[in-house]
Amino acid sequence: MSQFNAQDWITRLFLRLKGRGYLLGVDEYQAALQAVEAGYAEDEAALVELVQILWCHSLLQQDQLVTIWQDLQGETQKPKALPKNLENKTEPPPLPPKPIEGIKPLQPDPEPIAEKIEIPPQPEVASLPVQAPFAPIEREGLLPLQNYFPLSRRSMVYGWRFLRRPVADGFKNVLDIPATIQSVTDQGYYLAPVYRRQQRNQARLVLLIDQNGSMMPFHRFARDLVETAREESPLQKENVQVFYFHNVPASHIYQDLYLTSPVPIKEMLGQCDNETSVLIVSDAGAARGYRQQERIQTTTRFLLQLQKQTHLIAWLNPMRRSRWVGSSAEILSYLVPMFQMDRLGFSEAIDVIRGVAKPSVPGDED
Amino acid sequence: MTKAAKTLKFEGKDLRQRPTGAHKDAPQEPEPYIVGDRLKTAVNLAIALRRPLLLEGDPGCGKTCLAKAVAFELGLPFFPWNIQSISKAQDGQYVYDALGRLHDVQIQKGEKASRRDPSDPKAYCEMGALGKAFEIKDRPSVVLIDEIDKAELDFPNDLLTVLDKPWKFQVKETGAWVAADPQYIPIVFITSNKEKGNLPDAFLRRCLYHFVEFPKDSEELKRIITRHYEIENLQRQADDKMTPPQEDLQKASIERFLSVRNEGGLVKKPGTSEFLDWLKALQTFAAKPYSAEKLVGKDEKENKLPYPELLLKVQQDWRKFKPAT
Repeated sequence: MSQFNAQDWITRLFLRLKGRGYLLGVDEYQAALQAVEAGYAEDEAALVELVQILWCHSLLQQDQLVTIWQDLQGETQKPKALPKNLENKTEPPPLPPKPIEGIKPLQPDPEPIAEKIEIPPQPEVASLPVQAPFAPIEREGLLPLQNYFPLSRRSMVYGWRFLRRPVADGFKNVLDIPATIQSVTDQGYYLAPVYRRQQRNQARLVLLIDQNGSMMPFHRFARDLVETAREESPLQKENVQVFYFHNVPASHIYQDLYLTSPVPIKEMLGQCDNETSVLIVSDAGAARGYRQQERIQTTTRFLLQLQKQTHLIAWLNPMRRSRWVGSSAEILSYLVPMFQMDRLGFSEAIDVIRGVAKPSVPGDED
Repeated sequence: MTKAAKTLKFEGKDLRQRPTGAHKDAPQEPEPYIVGDRLKTAVNLAIALRRPLLLEGDPGCGKTCLAKAVAFELGLPFFPWNIQSISKAQDGQYVYDALGRLHDVQIQKGEKASRRDPSDPKAYCEMGALGKAFEIKDRPSVVLIDEIDKAELDFPNDLLTVLDKPWKFQVKETGAWVAADPQYIPIVFITSNKEKGNLPDAFLRRCLYHFVEFPKDSEELKRIITRHYEIENLQRQADDKMTPPQEDLQKASIERFLSVRNEGGLVKKPGTSEFLDWLKALQTFAAKPYSAEKLVGKDEKENKLPYPELLLKVQQDWRKFKPAT
């Protein structure tokens, strides 16, 4: 290895990692090139170490980098039989490969197919395959699973921060320096410091959370929402109420997440006034693509009742907007502002329930 | 890359005395610290690229000491900043004592002399760790931001604006600007233990990252022991020197400690500092040093552990071992 072109490798790694969702910008790229110039990447091992220190931000990422590096090396050492396919490879597949046989030749990974299938694939539509789908696990690493964080805990805490209705009704113990100085200049002598009352957040929040069934995969996020609202938000603890329901908020909702202690829905509605923010978390049938008349009717009835109490209502849907189409979620999204559960959607939902945003037009493009 | 960055290189030397020409704010005492190759590279990259080095790792594995060790070896001024839950990013730049000034005005009205002159707004401004570092113009300084995740959620983001170009900030009360010499931008170490989840993305992106691991093999632990006693004795009077534990006790304690740490199924694993304390207790707490033979022989068989209060800090862990005497 007389002439080891580190800069070239840095560029390739940068592109590859960027595609994998690493947190990198042009500054970081330049920093790496600077380090290469300063002699921090004289051989391959040093280069990997440099990139691990500079571009990885957890032990997990540092481990993954080794795999990615080996991949990248493997690709260049291969004879260039299929240059087009190699080009495709820089973009890692965002989803695990689809199990349908007919699609296989389109996959960017040429060599395992060449081993497995000798007959060229039939152009006509084949019946569904019985064999287990081919899944190139080693290439995928842990990333697709790791990346499933539509809404991180941190963004939740950030979001809740904006839900404020400060009222100065706490203890009168906050020193007001400008007012004190003002009073000294007014009177010509100093008498006493000026104190203000502590401000307290009087915003009230009702969280309505769909539990079980199609919401099962999202329990973790629902739990985080509840925990952050209660513990890590500026909201007063007694002003956060959480209720659970299954599929549809019917005549009763529940106080616990196991749905064992019911509360009449009237009682919940009675506690809402026009300053109560209500956030509903449910897939509204979008997860399984349901569109049941009964479900829509019951939910509509509930929403109309709720809208008589407060207009600060938003709906957080853990399914992507594109999946709402054709399901009951689409219909409900015309009744109440519905947002998909990611960072943007959550902050928009918060804007709605704190009453600063007009509900956006439903059915927007993704 | 700045001129200073090219010449400065941290090598992890076993220095006993301050290097010649050390700054007056550089640490006075050497820091017993053993640096691995990888950590050395990380430190030198941080110096070369002038990006903050984020250190994560188990508690008690030497995250905090590293900054001091670097400052000592290079003879650079060292400004630690211990973060508390009420710390604000501005505290690292400066703190302005407006109340003190008001107080002094009143005192002067009563015709007594005040300690500071209230007509001079500069007298009431005290620089924080970063402020002090920015003010040093003849060499870079080392700033340690310890346990960054103790602070409020926005803290790291607020800090970012100071820890980046153009490396300056304004003291609002006096209108003066404090700027670092572009040749001597401070070297920043940040420690975190992920108490409150990940740090914000923008912040992570700027930082270099190193995970400080517990020493893997007994050889490294042994080097740590030797170095530790050496440094400790340097700081003691001649009649108060400590004798390092006998070879067999060192060996036995390392062996036992590693087995407890790695195979004991502990909830909270003890770190290097706990180990050193434990070893000191084994050596000096009783009239005679603890028997090395017993430590790895009888005790291990009966699942007993001497001085468990130094190693086990959680109730569940405590139950796993019986105290030995």
